Amino acid sequence: MNIEVGVVIAATGMDVYDPTEYDEYGYTRFDNVITSMEFERLICAGGPTEGHFIRPSDRKIPQKIGFIQCVGSRSQDGRGNPYCSNICCMNTVKDTLLLCDHYPGVQASVFYMDMRAFGKGFEDLYMRSKEEGVKYVRGIPGDVVEDPETGNLILTVENTTTGKLEKHELEMLVLSQGVIPRQDGDTVRKLLTLSTTSDGFVMESHPKLKPVDAPTKGVFIAGCVESPKDVKDSVTQASAAAARASILLNAGKTKIEAITSQVDTELCNFCGICAKVCPYNAIGAPDRKAEKPPMIIQAACAGCGACAAECPQDAIQMRHFRDEQIMAQVEAIVKDDPEKHLLTFACNWCSYAGGDNAGTARLQYPTSSRLVRTMCSGRVDEKFVMHAFKLGAPMVLVSGCHFADCHYINAVHWTQKRMDRLWNKLDKLGIRVDRLQLEWISAAEGQKFAKVMRELEERVQAVTDEEIEFTKKVLAEEEEKAKKKKKPKAKAEVSV
Amino acid sequence: MVAKQVQFRCLMCGHEYSGMYDHDNVTERSCPKCRSNSVRRLPDAKAAKK
Repeated sequence: MNIEVGVVIAATGMDVYDPTEYDEYGYTRFDNVITSMEFERLICAGGPTEGHFIRPSDRKIPQKIGFIQCVGSRSQDGRGNPYCSNICCMNTVKDTLLLCDHYPGVQASVFYMDMRAFGKGFEDLYMRSKEEGVKYVRGIPGDVVEDPETGNLILTVENTTTGKLEKHELEMLVLSQGVIPRQDGDTVRKLLTLSTTSDGFVMESHPKLKPVDAPTKGVFIAGCVESPKDVKDSVTQASAAAARASILLNAGKTKIEAITSQVDTELCNFCGICAKVCPYNAIGAPDRKAEKPPMIIQAACAGCGACAAECPQDAIQMRHFRDEQIMAQVEAIVKDDPEKHLLTFACNWCSYAGGDNAGTARLQYPTSSRLVRTMCSGRVDEKFVMHAFKLGAPMVLVSGCHFADCHYINAVHWTQKRMDRLWNKLDKLGIRVDRLQLEWISAAEGQKFAKVMRELEERVQAVTDEEIEFTKKVLAEEEEKAKKKKKPKAKAEVSV
Repeated sequence: MVAKQVQFRCLMCGHEYSGMYDHDNVTERSCPKCRSNSVRRLPDAKAAKK
């Protein structure tokens, strides 16, 4: 089925954590241990028990019920997830109030590490739960055993407020399970080229300024696909996403980036690397049999330049950041006293801004560094680095955004891979590999920028004239060899 | 590709350590000793010789 759309809002939601790996709570062994989702079904009038909260083992209404918080959340022991699931604390507070409302006299106990009631009116709800007699015990149980005769559960917990080991006998236990990224969401994520954070949730374009925009143009995100959140936050984000989408839909015209890539069809050998590296899926793959070159979708191209840097045929160029323009900057930098200068490739959004930050903060760093700005560190072609060394640069620094901050989804990944290739190449040629350095410097890390510049200045001073001469000689020979191998090809007109 | 154990070397302080590497899912590297990002993944043969 093909549907033509102007924008896409990804609101694919989340899944709940499966607590079976927390075997000490006995979820798979004891009938009366249930999850918070199962609790919702039991207490719901439309549920299997028509809203009667009965325990599965004997269908009696339990009088002592316990809740264990953070099951699968805020875990550092390798099980579950390290993040806070955001909604579980208030869900449990709501559940205890429901129990007190349905069954006055019931004794509910909540075992927690921290109760997080930060939303509007949430603290009041939490206090109401306490006033209703719900007992809050600060401590996560280490063990749950079942009394085989009564089916009751005995919890062992260290109360961290009193510092004492306590045993609690309960008739039913509810595991407040955390939330996880949707497990079948990969297809949508790949289709929309959405990147994810280390916890698996979809990453927004900017956490403060574009919280509902995906890095891919025309794609917006709402709800738990981005991070665990409650209904109110999901509705707020969905409203914002709809508003952002309507701006684009009603604009009539779309502004595209000025810096986009273009293919030289005569140089292209249809290898398809460009289509593979593009973080935005903005390059239609070439067809070798039909000799059809890759097609750049100009509206989707964000201008990172990873395709231009990776193209083995130099068949892709970036508007305003063409190879010859960058090479000219490199040549200008190493023209006079090259041995005294540190050549730095800095990405526009982070490292270059980090340098600005160091300047505005009046941080002291050596004046020997010379910056070449590229939109992304992914644009830094191997040949730029080699050209700098060939002209006598003592050291080269490639700097870009931290992986989580990359303005171009994951273009920075290609920088890392290229640096590995470059280090191997230098090693093979007998050139000291530590003359090529890599640093991830964010726009806020002015101090790191200054520190790196100071450290590398010392290393620049340590590079000997003999080393530089040797490098120049080796690379000149390599260039000659490469020229002999490569058949000359006439440059053709550039097509888009 | 499956993640594999490889050897890394920091080009700032020279510290060598082993870690996981997945070619399809590259992660940010940072030297555990000096925090530099100039961390080279040593080629397999070279790492084996060490």
